[in-house]
Amino acid sequence: MKIPDYSRKFKDKNKAATLTTGQKNFLRRQKLQKLYIFWSRILLFVVFIMLWQVSSDLGWIDRFYFSSPIAIAQLFWYDIKDMSLLNHIGITLLESGISFLLIIILSMLMATFFWFYPSLGELFEPFLIVLNSLPKSALAPLIIVWLGTGPRTIILCGISVGIFGCILNLYQSFAQTDPERLKLIETLGGTKLQAFTKVVFPGNIPTFISLSKVNIGLALVGVIIGEFLAGRRGLGYLIIYGSQVFKLDMVILSIVILCIIAMGIYGLLNLLEKKMEQSD
Amino acid sequence: MSQNLHKKPFLRLDHVNFSYYSNLGEVKVLNDINFLIEKGVFAALVGPSGCGKSTVLSLIANLLKPVSGFITFYSEDFNAPRVGYMLQHDHLLEWRTVYQNITLGLEIQKRKTAENLELVDSLLEKYHLSNVKNQKPSALSGGMRQRIALIRTLAIRPDLLLLDEPFSALDYQTRLNVSKDVHDIIKSEQKTAILVTHDISEAISMADIIFVLTKSPCTVKDIIPIEFEANGIERDNIRKSSLFQEYFDKIWREMQNENTGL
Repeated sequence: MKIPDYSRKFKDKNKAATLTTGQKNFLRRQKLQKLYIFWSRILLFVVFIMLWQVSSDLGWIDRFYFSSPIAIAQLFWYDIKDMSLLNHIGITLLESGISFLLIIILSMLMATFFWFYPSLGELFEPFLIVLNSLPKSALAPLIIVWLGTGPRTIILCGISVGIFGCILNLYQSFAQTDPERLKLIETLGGTKLQAFTKVVFPGNIPTFISLSKVNIGLALVGVIIGEFLAGRRGLGYLIIYGSQVFKLDMVILSIVILCIIAMGIYGLLNLLEKKMEQSD
Repeated sequence: MSQNLHKKPFLRLDHVNFSYYSNLGEVKVLNDINFLIEKGVFAALVGPSGCGKSTVLSLIANLLKPVSGFITFYSEDFNAPRVGYMLQHDHLLEWRTVYQNITLGLEIQKRKTAENLELVDSLLEKYHLSNVKNQKPSALSGGMRQRIALIRTLAIRPDLLLLDEPFSALDYQTRLNVSKDVHDIIKSEQKTAILVTHDISEAISMADIIFVLTKSPCTVKDIIPIEFEANGIERDNIRKSSLFQEYFDKIWREMQNENTGL
């Protein structure tokens, strides 16, 4: 019996290709384009900061309402020294982190449950759609009445923004698993639990990562809403307090810190995604 | 319609009927299916698309229950036979390596014993796939993937192999090569197999016996033993032989009559 040796063909495919001049030029152009975009972004940011500072110094904008980069940096330095700002940042990050983890864990549990019992999934789907469409800030006053002010209310606000959409998306993604793959498990004598652990769950890890990317941001949004309404600490509280006492430097500083946190989270998630791709 | 019983019987379908229900009422898929397959025989079910060929396999694999009739396995040790099922697509899981894909069935059946893993290694070695066993399936060609799917099915040591149009997703040339490989592998492992296909040439070149099925509701129209070896024709030359053409014409006519309602 003669079976062709495919493995040799496969090994040949893996040989490192030598680069031609055309390829080298193409790669160089691609690298230059990336560098150009990166430095242009930095330049745009620096120009914006300088324009803001100059406008404030020359009185083109009202310093009381719009503050200035130097005033914000000074306030940052002052608040960092007495640890109060770090405390507020830490609280917001902790509450967002807990909300995010709870969104992910609860969504995973619910979506798994609905996959095992599709008629329950069908039963709950319209309710989840309504709850997902509801502006979550409308729920916040009710949560305050139920739970009072404090971290519990803020975390619940953080959860409420993302959880319904996350359950729906995850469940729909589980339900869209190729039925032929489930049949494969069945033909190998597998149970429904094995179909879940061997096919449905691992097959949905990319969806899970993209949902995590969306929901970490949504948890932050929910926590800030919660801190607006029921916080005594945290960046949301600083924004509301600052606006009430007209300390707009404080408000803008808090917003800038939120931007930095969002950027940090985005970078962290991209790093995580790359690590996971590499491990594949 | 009788079959020669010169080998041990392995599987028998007696008056098997199957229907499903939709908004439009009862749809009868199988109508009084009867056949016998002997041990070590490679059988093919040929019929028009959508006639219910795959339903027969699902019933044999116990994925569906017949509305009436009996499916009997002749077992020497009174154990239920182990059935290996090869689907239309390879369905290799892209997050698992080739080796992990092959051992999926053993993992599910909790039979990852040293003996079974030795079989996996020997199959990989025998069919020149050892070098790719730690690769992810996305890096492999369609032909290789389908051979890996076959080894995954063989790894569970099935008594019966069910092949549900396993080559239909491949291009023609790969299909010819892979179908020959799969035939040779199944024969050398001495397995009983049932192939479902609508490709008449594929059925003739692979099977020892062909069951021609009618359009839905499906029933067995004819049973054609394929006898190249008895006529002194070697496997490598069967496609060039006049007997191949004879078988082809006979099955073609029967399927044409089926389509035109004659």
